[in-house]
Parts: sequence; C-alpha cells; structure tokens
Amino acid sequence: METLLNVAIFLPLVGALLVAVIRNEIFAKVASILIGAVVALISLVLFVNFDFSKKGFQFETYVPWIKTLGIGYHVGVDGMAISLILMTSILFLAAYIWSWKIEDRPSLYFALFLALETACIGVFAALDLFLFYLFWEGMLIPMYFIIGFWGHDRKVYAANKFFLYTFFGSLFLLLGIASILVYGYFETGKISFDYFFHLGLDYPLWLELIAFLLFGIGFAVKIPMWPFHTWLPDAHVEAPTAGSVILAGVLLKMGTYGFVRFSLPFFPEASKYYIPLIFTLSVVAVIYAAMMAIAQTHMKRLIAYSSISHMGLVTLGTFAMNSDALNGAIYLMIAHGLSSAALFLGAGFIYDRIHSYHMDDLGGLARYIPYFTFAFFLAVLAGIAFPGFASFVSEFLILLGIFEKFPVWAFVAGIGMVLGAAYSLYMFRKVMLEEESIPEERVEKWKKLKDLELHHAIPFALIIGMALVMGIYPYPFVKIVEHTSKLVFGG
Amino acid sequence: MNWNAILPEAILAIGILTVFILELFLERKHYKFLSVLAFIFVVLSGYSIFFVNYPAKLFFDGFSVDALNLIGKLFILAVTGFVLLSSYDYFSKKNSQYGELPYLYLIATLGLMVMISSDNLAIIFTGLELASITMYILVGLFRREYLSKEGAFKYLVIGTTGTSMYALGSALVYASSGSMVLSPVKEENTLFALGVILIISALALKVSAVPFHFWTPDAYEGAPTPTTAYLSTVPKIGMYFLFVKLTMYLFSAFPDWKYVVMLLAVLSMFYGNIVAYAQKSVKRLLAYSSIAHAGYFLTALTAVDKHLFSALLFYVFVYALATVGAFTVLAILEKKEGWTHHFLDFKGLKEENPVLASMLALFLFALIGIPPAAVFLGKLGIFFGLVKTDMFALGILFAIASLISAGYYLKVIVYMFLYSGEVRHGQTTVSAGEAFTVLGTAFLVIFFGLFPHVVLDFILRALS
Repeated sequence: METLLNVAIFLPLVGALLVAVIRNEIFAKVASILIGAVVALISLVLFVNFDFSKKGFQFETYVPWIKTLGIGYHVGVDGMAISLILMTSILFLAAYIWSWKIEDRPSLYFALFLALETACIGVFAALDLFLFYLFWEGMLIPMYFIIGFWGHDRKVYAANKFFLYTFFGSLFLLLGIASILVYGYFETGKISFDYFFHLGLDYPLWLELIAFLLFGIGFAVKIPMWPFHTWLPDAHVEAPTAGSVILAGVLLKMGTYGFVRFSLPFFPEASKYYIPLIFTLSVVAVIYAAMMAIAQTHMKRLIAYSSISHMGLVTLGTFAMNSDALNGAIYLMIAHGLSSAALFLGAGFIYDRIHSYHMDDLGGLARYIPYFTFAFFLAVLAGIAFPGFASFVSEFLILLGIFEKFPVWAFVAGIGMVLGAAYSLYMFRKVMLEEESIPEERVEKWKKLKDLELHHAIPFALIIGMALVMGIYPYPFVKIVEHTSKLVFGG
Repeated sequence: MNWNAILPEAILAIGILTVFILELFLERKHYKFLSVLAFIFVVLSGYSIFFVNYPAKLFFDGFSVDALNLIGKLFILAVTGFVLLSSYDYFSKKNSQYGELPYLYLIATLGLMVMISSDNLAIIFTGLELASITMYILVGLFRREYLSKEGAFKYLVIGTTGTSMYALGSALVYASSGSMVLSPVKEENTLFALGVILIISALALKVSAVPFHFWTPDAYEGAPTPTTAYLSTVPKIGMYFLFVKLTMYLFSAFPDWKYVVMLLAVLSMFYGNIVAYAQKSVKRLLAYSSIAHAGYFLTALTAVDKHLFSALLFYVFVYALATVGAFTVLAILEKKEGWTHHFLDFKGLKEENPVLASMLALFLFALIGIPPAAVFLGKLGIFFGLVKTDMFALGILFAIASLISAGYYLKVIVYMFLYSGEVRHGQTTVSAGEAFTVLGTAFLVIFFGLFPHVVLDFILRALS
C-alpha cells in the first residue's frame, strides 16, 4: 500500500518526461489517459483500504534525505488527504479525457498537466515541510505555462498575475516555515522539517501569532481569501478549460488544506485568537463574491466568483473550532472541487461550440443540445448544494457546526448560499433557456450544433457521478473526513 | 615548510606560464587549444585541493589554508572552468580571438585564491589587486568597441577607488590595533571604526552593492559576454568568502558594523530590483539582478552565525552556477547576426531555439527562487538564519524584494515563450564547450537543490 501511494505521486512525473521526450500526439493522449486512469484507480484502492477506525496517518513512507537539515522524504495520508487525492486524480483523469481533441502542441500540454498532477498529489501527501513546499511551488511553473500557452486573449497578463500573487504567498509561507524551524532548533538543538516533530512542539503564543499570519498569507492567496482574490477571476477567464478545472478543483483546495493540516494543529491558540479576523474575511468573501457573481455576464468569471464565495464558506467551517463544521469544511473542499470542475467543463463546452463565454451571445441552447443541458443542469444543482449532491451534505454540516457557537455568522453565511442559488440559476436560465431574446440567425446556426461527444460525456459522468455518490451515500466519506477532524481536535 | 599547502595555486601558476609561453608561439587557429589547456589546469588545480593537508600556514603565516578557504577555492575553480569552456567559440565567432584570454582568466582566479587564503590584510590586498587589474583588462578586451572601452574605463576608475579605500582602511586598522593580521579583537575607537567602514565600503564596491554599484551595469554590458559571466560570479564567490572571514575576525569587533551592512543590503535589494524593470536589454537586466543579489547576500552578513554564513556561501555558489548558465545562453545567442540582447530580440525565441529558450527559462526560474533549483535553498537558509539572529524585519524585506524581482525575470520568459517573434535572426551554433557549460550548470543547479548536503555539510563543518 505504501508503495502504491508513491507510485501515485511519481507515475505522472515519469509520464510527463516520457510524453515530453517522445513528442507524439497520439502517444501523449493515450499515455496521459492511461496514467490518469491508473492513478485514479490507485487512489480508489487506497481510499477503500483506508482504515478510518485507526488513529493517525496511514500508508506512510519515510526515507532520510538531507540529514543535516532534518529533511526526509516523508509521505502519508489521513482521511482528508486520501479523499482529496481521490478527487484530484479523478479531476485529472477527466481533464485528460476532455483534452482529447486538443491540437495546439499536445505533447507539451499533456506533459505539463502530468507534471502538475505529481505536484498536486504530492502536496496532499507530504508530511515534511520541505517536501510540501517543493510540491507547493512545483505546481507554479506548469500552471503558469498552461495559462500562458493555451489561454485566451489576455493570457500573458493573467499568467503573470497568477504567478506573482502565488509567489508572494509562497515567500511568506517560506518565512513562516523558517520561523518555526528556528524555534524547533532553539528548543531541541536540531533542525527538522518533519511534520510530527513540529506537531510535538508547543510554540509560545507570540510565535504562534506571527507564524500563523505568515502561513496564513501563503494559504490565503491560494484559496483565495478576500482581499487576495483578484488573481482568480483573471486566471480562470484566461485559462483553457482543463486548466480552469484543475485550478478550481484542486489548486484552490491546497490553501484550505494547508489551514487544516498545518495552521490548526500547529497554532491552536493563534487559530482561536484570529477567529474574528478569519470570520470577517470569510463572510466578506462569501457575500461580496456572491454579489460580484450576480453582476457578471461572463460565464467563467461568474463561476470563478462563485468559487471564491464557496471557499469563504470552507474557511468559515475550518475555523469554527467545531468538529461538525470542520467535517463540513473538508467535505466541501471535495464537493466544491467536483461541482466547480463540472461547471467549468460546461462553460468550456459552450466555448468550444459557440466561441463565446458571454451570456449576451448565448440563450435558448437547451432545445439544440439536450444532453449537454442535462449534464450542465446537474452541475448547477451540484453547485447550489441541492439535496442529493455532495455540497448539500457539506454545507449543511458547516452551518450546523457554526450555528452552535456563532449563530449570527451562520445566518450571514446562509444568505451567501441563497445568493449562490440565485446567480447559478440565473446563469442557467440565461444560457440554456431564455429563447425570447435570441435573434433569428443564431437559431439557424445553433440548429447545427453538435451535442456532447464521448470525450465530453465521460468527464461529466465521472465528476457528477462522484458528487452524487457522495451526496446520496455520504457515510464512508463523512467517516473518513471525521478521521482528520479527530486528529485536529484530538477527540 | 609545508609546500603541499599551496599545491592548487602552484599548479595554476604553472598553467598560467605554460599558456602564456605557448601563446607566443602558437598560431591563431590554435587558440581554442589554449582555452582547453587552461581548463585542464583548472581541473588539475581543483583536483589537487583534495590532497592538501589542512590546516596549515606558511610564508611566515602570511598564507594559511583551512577547510573553509579550500571550499572557496574549489567553488572558484569550478565556476572558472565552466567560463573557460564556454568562452572560446564566442570569441572566435566574434573574430576577436585573443590568446591572452585564457591566461587572464587564470590570473584573476589565482588572485582571488590568494586573496581568500590569507589572514593578513596586506596580502589580501595583493590578491585583490591581482584579480582586479586583470579584470579591468578582461572587460576592455574588445578594444575596438566603444562600449567595452567605456565599461573598462569606468570599472578601472571606480575599482581603483575601491582598492584605495581598502588600503586606507587597513592602514587605519593597523594604526589602531597595531596588527595587520586578523584575530578576534575587541577594539572600540573611532580610528578602528573608520577603518572598518572603509573596508566594508571597498568590499561593497567589489560586490557591486548600492551606492557603490555605478560601474556594474556598464562594465557588465560592455564586457564580452563570457567575461560578464566570469565577472558576475567568480570574483563574487571570492569576495563573499573574504567578507565572511573579515566579518568574523574584524568587522564584528566594531558592533555597529551590522547597521552599515544592513543599509547596504536594503538599498541594493530594492534599488537593483526596481531599476531592473526599466532595462531594455536582458544583459543589462542581469547586471541589475546581480546588484539585487548583492543585497540578498549582504543580509546574511549582519550577524556572526554559522547557519547564516553557510547559507550565504551555498547561495553564492549556486547563484554563480545559474548566472554562468544564463550568460552562456546569452553568449550563444549573441553569435547570431544582429543580436543585441534587446527584449525584442527575445520575442518568440522558443520557436527558433526551443532548447536554448528553455534553458534560459530554467536559469531564470532558478534565480527567482523556485524549487527544486538550489537558489531556493539559499533563500530558505538565509530566512532561517535571519529569524534565528532576531532580524525578522530584514527577512520580510528580503521576501518583498525577491517578490519584486520575480516580475522582471518573468518578463524575459514571457517574451521568449508567450509572444511570437517578428524578427528572425536565424540559427546559431552551439560549441561543445558551451553545451557542456549550459547543461553542466543546469544539472548542478537542480542537483544541489535536491541534494544540498553534498556541499552544505562541508561548509557547515568548516565554519564550526
């Protein structure tokens, strides 16, 4: 089992090298899909074999690496990590299949995505701060080129903005890591990057307060929390469809993952101390981003703002200091990864067919592409936390948890959810239904539109299928997520 | 006397003489052979370091060998070797192959090696001058080009000011402490303080820290590109080894030295990084980036701490590797007809030379500090040391400055990869030496990023 986890991390990287060297279009596509499928299968096997009744991390591998600096190759997963890895691998598989028809430099495209997959899975599995940072930064360059090469009109601007914002966060994260390392060094006389070494240390309050902020800036940029969010709409609008899927589905979760994995257990006192700050920023994100979403006419921009809004809900749940809310937050990371990915797939499909994201150019599509309409409708339902989908379970848990101690905040967050339903349904109506406003010549054009093809249908089925399974039969997922909140709160 | 201690220097000196004499008799077409011969002597000299018995002192304690300066010599020789191999084809393509070139590089290297292996301020001065004077000549080697002459002249005038400041500073130190030999002393009088400040300024000038940086952009831009690669790396390594030694034994005796260094560091980081944005030429941009890096390095000299120093020396070395790689790519590109290093020339480079463009991108990403390139570890190490020595604020400034720097490095990458070019410059040839340098430095930059303990452990052990 331990080996399988390592294979899941490094198989995509090996694949990336192969694809980049062989430079054959068909090979690149087939190999990527195969590797994606193998990795998804491995994560499923790991997920099924994960014993959530046992405390602590599982499938651990530890190999000493740089001894003088106390750096080791240390990977392992808990409930949160394994479920995020499962989601990641499924989203990547969906992204590979979706990109079946890509024509522009396919070898490079798939090589970058494969490299990105290694970095993403690595982030979720790393139990060594050095290794974590390595993977954390490792996703920067592939994503930069994915946006920069295959993006739309303002791709250079968006790619640079993405890079600089994220790099800004990473530098503070690095400073944070340095500061807790120094404390560890003064306390025990040795430098160690190991997760458990730092978990065992009791930091003084002043250090917690500083280090929490330093880590927090790093994570907040990635999530993104208001006011660090402005890179996200640009990056999403300009990124190619598969890039948006990974960006919204996986990269954003790294920030909230970091909060749960590092900030909460390392700095418990500081986490309590900063609750007002985090709550304010989160609620502003929830409401403000939802209002911004309502004002958009660009589909991708709307979905991007809805992501910010949902991530605000995740941070709310994370810092409610309540195991229900934390369970819900982790659950929402996965649920939102799936639902936003499905929505971006929908937007991407429409762009492929009609070459526009603007709602003014769309309308009344339901009559001409019924299968797609069905899939997109399911995606919208998943996005607005309709019962039966994963996000329903998670948002319910979050609100339940927050309500216990912070009823007012829970009420405000609830408003955000109502707004979420409003803008999502508004988008669906505008794009798919509203037939009155479309001119004649468009109808002629849209009669010739092709409906979903196989390489569109499979990703939709994978993602929405998983969201449905998690919504209808949440028991194993909630159990596995609870494994983490028990670790964090020590219950 | 223990002659074994000067084995590396002796071999290098023999190499210099051999190349010098051969150059008198050989014809022009054999000059490539001279570079290779010089490279062989560099390798031999580097190899001989492993046979030196240390610690040792000779020449009436004027020349001392310990683990730290042996590591310094190894670094200096390694980077010199890369530069030598990358240089010959560039000069022959530019139709200005001078036979002096290989031994001039060797002489400068010899000067630096002498400089770092002495504890005597006077002998340090000798080594410094030997290296500096040689480098003035190296910069002005394109004697028919205005830019090269201008750069050399500026470098000469300002560089000489620097060495005279050093001379005056050591005289003052001698006047107040009665000794030219470095030893852990505690002196608190104005004369000593003035001497220390003068020496710090002189070294700051040599590492091109603001406000002593004025020679840097012109000298870097005017010099032949392989020489720029040499100039921006090898002397820097030597200087920082010297700086570390002087900080330990001289500067720290004057407690306020850290504020002087701090000021230099902060000014250099921000000035270098901000002015770099205004540059139109990539070569000049890298010159400003080296000013900014001088600032980063100086932050590590604000306290006497083995972790800071080891991080610094590691950082300087991997920075040197990445910089030599980047300049070598520029040198290869410069062999194209009409290439000026202007940003517009780089537009769409990935279509013409995908491999060269990717290599340059790799070096630039390394300089930004993205892991797994080793420069990132240098940054982490300095952060660690700064937090450890209670200079957290400086760490934050460092982080902000390196964020600013990411923008202009990215600009080059954007021009190469994300824009498509209008001007075609045609293909360029890559000689075996250049290929070796580019691939070798790229490999080492990544390798030391993943396995830093290969060198870091030795530095740490030498320092403690």
